[in-house]
Parts: sequence; structure tokens; C-alpha cells
Amino acid sequence: MNALQIRNLRKKFGGLLATQDVSFDVARGSLTALIGPNGAGKTTLFNLITNLFPADSGSVHFDDHQLTGLSPSQIAKLGVIRTFQSARVFPGMTVLENALAGRHRLLKHGLASQLFWLPASRREEKALAEQAMALLDLVDLADQAHRPATDLPMGEQKLLEVIRALMAQPRLLLLDEPAAGLNDTETAELSALLRAIQACGVTVLVVEHNMSLVMTIADQVIVLEAGRMIARGSPAEVQADRRVITAYLGEEAI
Amino acid sequence: MNGFIQIVLGGVLQGSIYAMLALGFSLVFRVTGVINLAQGGFCTLGALIVYTLQSEMHLPVALAAAISVVITTLAAGVLGRVLFVPGLTRLTNSNMLMLTAGILTMLEGLVLVIWGSQPYALTPFSGERPWHMGPILVQPQGVWVMGVALIGILALAWMLMRTRLGQWLRACAENPMAARLIGANVPQLQLFAFALAGAIGAIAGIVVAPAIALEFDTGRLLTISGFIAVAIGGIASFPGAIVGGLLLGLVNQLGTAYVSSLFSNALSLGLLLLVLVVRPAGLFRSGVMKRIDVREEARVWQHVTRITSKGAWRWGGVAVLAGLTLPYLMDESLLGSAIITLILFLTLIGQDMLMGYAGQISLGQAGFMAVGGYTSSYLVTNQDWHAVPAIGVGIVFSLAASAILAGVTLRLRGLYMALATLAFGLLVDSCTVGFDDITGGPSGMVGIPDLDLFGYDIDTSAKMYFVVLTLVVLTLVAISGAMRSGFGRALQAIRTDPLAAAALGVNVTGCKMAAFAMSAAIASVAGSLYAFQFHFLAPEMVGAPRSLELVSMLVIGGEGTLIGPLFGAALLTILPTLFQPLAIYKTFASGALLAGFALYLPQGMFGLLLRLVRGKRA
Repeated sequence: MNALQIRNLRKKFGGLLATQDVSFDVARGSLTALIGPNGAGKTTLFNLITNLFPADSGSVHFDDHQLTGLSPSQIAKLGVIRTFQSARVFPGMTVLENALAGRHRLLKHGLASQLFWLPASRREEKALAEQAMALLDLVDLADQAHRPATDLPMGEQKLLEVIRALMAQPRLLLLDEPAAGLNDTETAELSALLRAIQACGVTVLVVEHNMSLVMTIADQVIVLEAGRMIARGSPAEVQADRRVITAYLGEEAI
Repeated sequence: MNGFIQIVLGGVLQGSIYAMLALGFSLVFRVTGVINLAQGGFCTLGALIVYTLQSEMHLPVALAAAISVVITTLAAGVLGRVLFVPGLTRLTNSNMLMLTAGILTMLEGLVLVIWGSQPYALTPFSGERPWHMGPILVQPQGVWVMGVALIGILALAWMLMRTRLGQWLRACAENPMAARLIGANVPQLQLFAFALAGAIGAIAGIVVAPAIALEFDTGRLLTISGFIAVAIGGIASFPGAIVGGLLLGLVNQLGTAYVSSLFSNALSLGLLLLVLVVRPAGLFRSGVMKRIDVREEARVWQHVTRITSKGAWRWGGVAVLAGLTLPYLMDESLLGSAIITLILFLTLIGQDMLMGYAGQISLGQAGFMAVGGYTSSYLVTNQDWHAVPAIGVGIVFSLAASAILAGVTLRLRGLYMALATLAFGLLVDSCTVGFDDITGGPSGMVGIPDLDLFGYDIDTSAKMYFVVLTLVVLTLVAISGAMRSGFGRALQAIRTDPLAAAALGVNVTGCKMAAFAMSAAIASVAGSLYAFQFHFLAPEMVGAPRSLELVSMLVIGGEGTLIGPLFGAALLTILPTLFQPLAIYKTFASGALLAGFALYLPQGMFGLLLRLVRGKRA
């Protein structure tokens, strides 16, 4: 059963064909890695799925919903949550507040109950804070919960962004280079976290350059080059693919 | 037909001044990415220096003008060196806007201190007798205006296109980082652009001064006109600035001639809104594409001021106790100041939610005070309504105004909303003066009765104080409830990164509109209380200067803290009362404090206080 279906996506920036007729499926509960050289169109693909800008043609389906034409926040409300390549924690907010901000789409008690300090709303806030602290603890950020988020080193900001995405209880999680800028310990933490996420039944699509990470955690690997999909398959299959080796190392290497 | 040509000619005249100002805007914007609200302030300064040189030292106009341009440019250079350029490396674009608002207020305050608040007019350069060109009458000063504008525009174009300096400036505009790499001294170029814009302002002010009466606050009108011109033309485009200026001048003159002088401002605003809706980038696009999936601003909101919930209750309790005992310790005039402080603080709670939390700058918050104040006092005074339903109607009108304004501007990028609110404030100003049947015109609305709460007459200052205090506390508790929950987090997320917020499912436009509407409603109530407190309401009490003062109070007190603005409001309200002789320096001081706090103490007095208290304990 497929969670995500991408059909013939195409996007042109001026004269540059950033995405050319890309089609693939992502099975529910699986972890798919998107790899390719810089400029291959991986982040563009994320931006098309979450509709930060519209595709020129093609379609994206998530479960029974057509995502094409929905706004980024409508797409998020369906449970499609993404992170960004450069960590985008919210400045001017603490680590804990950043994590809590992820839950926005699922808050039960709205503005009116918040204004009147209704007990139900206060209880919800308290329960969420506990949950967020538990998640922050997974990546060793709990003791920094009340520091400004932008005081964290870059690696921890990226982990915080993943936690924020998890607070949104995603059904499809799109991670854009989560391991970039992480040290070895943090990468190990991330890898464990990704496995745990997958074990919870969340479908994950991840753009990543760290090949050892990709090859150990991915069920499916999709290789993009210059906007085109040049290979897809299991990590082992992709590693043996001639075109992939050419794309990464050039003709000479073969 | 002759009449029509006459009016078109007048429009071109007026438009050429707007075009010059618009060029100043465009220049600074292209080189620094900042909308420089101080632009119009230099016009007034330049023109009044000429006035003094002519009347005190009897210098010929050409010499006086030359000296004045030099002085004004130097002043701009100093302000640029001390405030503007340092701000560019550490403030967000929206805080830069406040910084320039601070510089504008400082310039106005300076003019107020030196020249007072009466209007001035220079003598026309070539006499007052109009020249006849066939059947058309031409004012000689008009020829001066057009000629100087034309020469100024051509000289600027030559400088930008043909000189090495111009090349550097354009490089800096295209890509400051790259310009730096190839050896441009970027801060120096930015300073140069700011000072040059000051010179342009001075020249425009000097030639236009014989045609219009100048007062200390004429600068802001020129700023807004110049801005409307660039917004119409396309902010980053030089030809756009010129076309926008001329178009605005024409619309203004035709509107004044064929509709009413009252509505010429409204027509300019209408033109601006129309362009913003149909072509948000202006008539001439600059063709610069930006990646939207990368955060636009490198410089962001950095500080976090938080108090623990235990601390909030404890200190809140102390503050309420102090608030309850204060009226027994104060004399009548101090109590009056305390009431005004609280009323302004009430407005600021809403404004802080909008600006401090959601990051949406409002430079027209007093406009909503005016809508509320005039509506409720008219209904109570002239229609014998009860106060409470009358205040309610005021809220409804303010909500409607905010919905219209937000509907038009919120979808637009960045600072357009800030400038639309400034225009809104000025529009309300011209309406309060113009609709004199209802508002009493410039002399104000008199005979407003005591506030009457369901038959209970609030007839003493002490009673009024407690009514206002109760409202302030209730509003503060309610808004802080929302700010420490989901809504507050959504607003703060939107403040720095609306795109990442949307990617988490936050309805960005909806949240901004809710914050805007709530702040408008609160300001409306505050405006009504203000009118009932004074039993009188005049346009300048709730006009554009008040809006800028509110911004000063907010920034000085500390944005994004809800409590902080109380300190700013108290400082700027109670100090001038205590030290009456210094009151004339108030405008200057509030501008200087605004600019200084925006630059050096972004967490405001409240943040500073908190740091001191915590520092001691640690």
C-alpha cells in the first residue's frame, strides 16, 4: 500500500529544468532515501510535494488526498510535515517552545479558551509540555529546554527541528539533510531516532548525503541527477547501479 | 479645458517633488534594502535652515540653500554613521524601519525645539506674480520646483550610470556580499546613499517650501507621499519612482480639484491600495528573484525575555497591590497622568501582541483609537447613547477597518503592511479634521460627558483610574493566556519564519488577521476611554504623531513582553508632567530613545530590568 504517489512531476526555473518527469511511490511505513549530487533537484522535489511553489505539471497524492493545489499549511494539516535543509528553528523562542510549536495543527483548544485560561486548555498545554520534554530528552536537549533555541549549536538545532516535526505527529515525514552538520554522536542519535520513528509506523522520505547512514536505514533509495530519476531500488541494488556510480564519480571511474 | 491643463500642470509640479523624494527612497532601498522613513524629515530641516539664514542673517537664497544642503547632508551623515549604518548589520528589516521612524521623530523633535510648532513659508525665489503662457497661469515657484527636480533626477541618473561611484552603488544594490568581495567598502557606500538621500530631501524641501506651509511634522507627510510614490512605481526601480511620483501628483491634484481637498489624501491611499492589490511589486518590477525556501533575513530577532509563571504571579500580585494603593498617594494631576499611562498601556498590550509577538509593524495604531474614541463620544454626546453600547459600536467599526486594511495588506510581503498602517493613520487624521459636522474638526469634539457604566457615573479621577486599571488587568491576563499557549507560539513562529510556520500547519494569514483585529479592538476601547477621561477629543490627541509615540513606548519598554510597554508609556507620559519645562524636548527624546533602544537595547527597559534583578541574584 502506497502512502505517497508522485506522478510526472516537472518544474522549470527559467531555462533550468529542475525536475523532469519524476514518478515514484513510497510504501506506507517505509523509509525512502532521496540521494543525488548537489543540484540534482532533491530539495526542489520536497518543495513541490509541500507546494512551497507549484509544479508545472504532474501530481502528488498522499493517501487519498491530492496535494497539488493545496497550500503548505493545508498539506501540513494532512500530516505531511517537513524539515528544512538549513535548520530553521524559530528565533526568539526557547527550545521547549520550538518543540511545542510543532503541535500547532493538533491543538484542541483554540484562541478563545486560551484567552479565558479555561482549565481544559491549561491541562492540554501542560500535557504537551511533558510530552515535548520526553522527546527532547531522546536527543539530550531536555536540560536546555528553557534556553533560546538559536543559542544551540547547529547540530542540535537540526535535531530540535526533527523533534519539532515529530511533535506534529506526522504521517509522512520529509527530512531535508537531517545529518548535515551533525557530529558522530549526534548522527548516531539521529539514526536511532529515525529507526524509532519508523517503528511507530510513520512514513519517512529523507534527503541525505551521509551514505553510510542512508545505506543502513533506508528501505528504498531513489537517485536523482539533474532533475531526473536515474535509479531506484534497495540500497544494495542502487549501490551496484552503473548510472549511479557514473553520476557520482564520473565516466572515468568505471 | 484651460482649467484642466492648469490642474494637470499643478499635478506634474507636485508630482515632481514626490518623484524626487521617491528617488531618495529608492536609492536607500536599493543600496541597503531598508525603507527609510526619515526621508521626509530632512525636507523640513533643510527648508527651515534656509528660513533662518534668510531672515536672521539676510543671506541670498542661493547661498542660504547651498549652506542648508551642506548642513542637512552632514546631519544625515552623522545620523547615518551613528544609527543607520550600524543598524544594518544587526537589526531585522522591520526593526530598521522603527530605527528610521526614530530618526524621523528625532528630526521632528529637533525642529520643534529650534523653530517651535508654528507654520513657516519661504518667500518664492522669483516673486509671486504668476507668469502668463497664453491662457495658462504658471507660478514661478512651480517652474523652480520642476526645474530642480529635473536637474536633480538627471544628475542622479548620470551619477549612477556614468561614474565609478555609481557603479559601486549599483553593485552594492545588486549583491552586497559580492560587492564586498570585489573590494567595495559596503558600509561607506550605504552611508553615502543615506546622506545623499538626506541631501535630496533637503533640496526637495527647500524648493517646495515657498509653495506649502512647513510645520515641524510636515516631514512625515512628505515621507508618506514619497513612499506611496515608490510603492506605486516599484520600490527598487528608479524610473518607477519618477513615474510613481508624477502619477501620485496628478491624482492628488485632480482629486483636489474635482472631488474635494479632504479626499485627496484618501485618493492617494486608494491609488496605493489599488496598485498593491493588482501589482504588488509596483508598476515597474526590479526583476530580482528570491528563493522562497531559504529564510530571507540573515539578521533575526535574537533575544528571549521570559519570566517564570511563579514569578509572573508573584510580581503581578505586587504590581496590582501597588496599582490599588497608588491613587491615594498621588495628587490630582499625577493621577491624571497615571490614567493616561494606563490607557496608553492598554493600547500597547494589543500593539505588542501585533508587533512584539507576530512581528507585524503597525504605525497607525492611534487611528483605531480615533475610530473608537470619535464613534463612542459622538453616540454618547450627540445621540444620547449609553457609554457601553457606544464603545461597542466603536469596536465594531475598528474591527471593520482592521479587516479591510488587513485583507488588502496582510498577504503582501514584509513591510507593506507597516506602511499601509501609516497611511491608514493619516487617512483617519484627514477624516477627523474633515468631517467637522461629526468630529468638530480641528478644534475637536467638546462636551463629552463622564463615563457612565450602566447608570453608575464615573465622576472622579479615582473612579476612572480604577475602571481603567480593571480593564488593563483583565486584558493583560487574557492576552498573556493566549501568548503563553498555542496562539502566542504561532505568532512568534510567524514573526521570524512564516514559511516554516506554514509548513507546520499554522494558518499564517488567519493568525495575523486575528492579532490585528484584536489589537484594533483594544485600541478602540482605549480611544473611547481617552475621550471620556478628557471630556474632549481633538485630532492631534489620536493622530499620526500619537501612533509613532506608541511605537516609541513599545520599543523603549520592551517588545514581546506584554508588561514592558508599561515602562515605556510611564516614562514618556509621567516624566514630561513632572518636568514641565522639558516638555518641549519630549518629541526629540522619544525619537532618540526609540532609535537608541532599537539599536542597542532591543529587549527594552523591561529586559534590562530583568537582567539587573537576575544578575544580582546570581
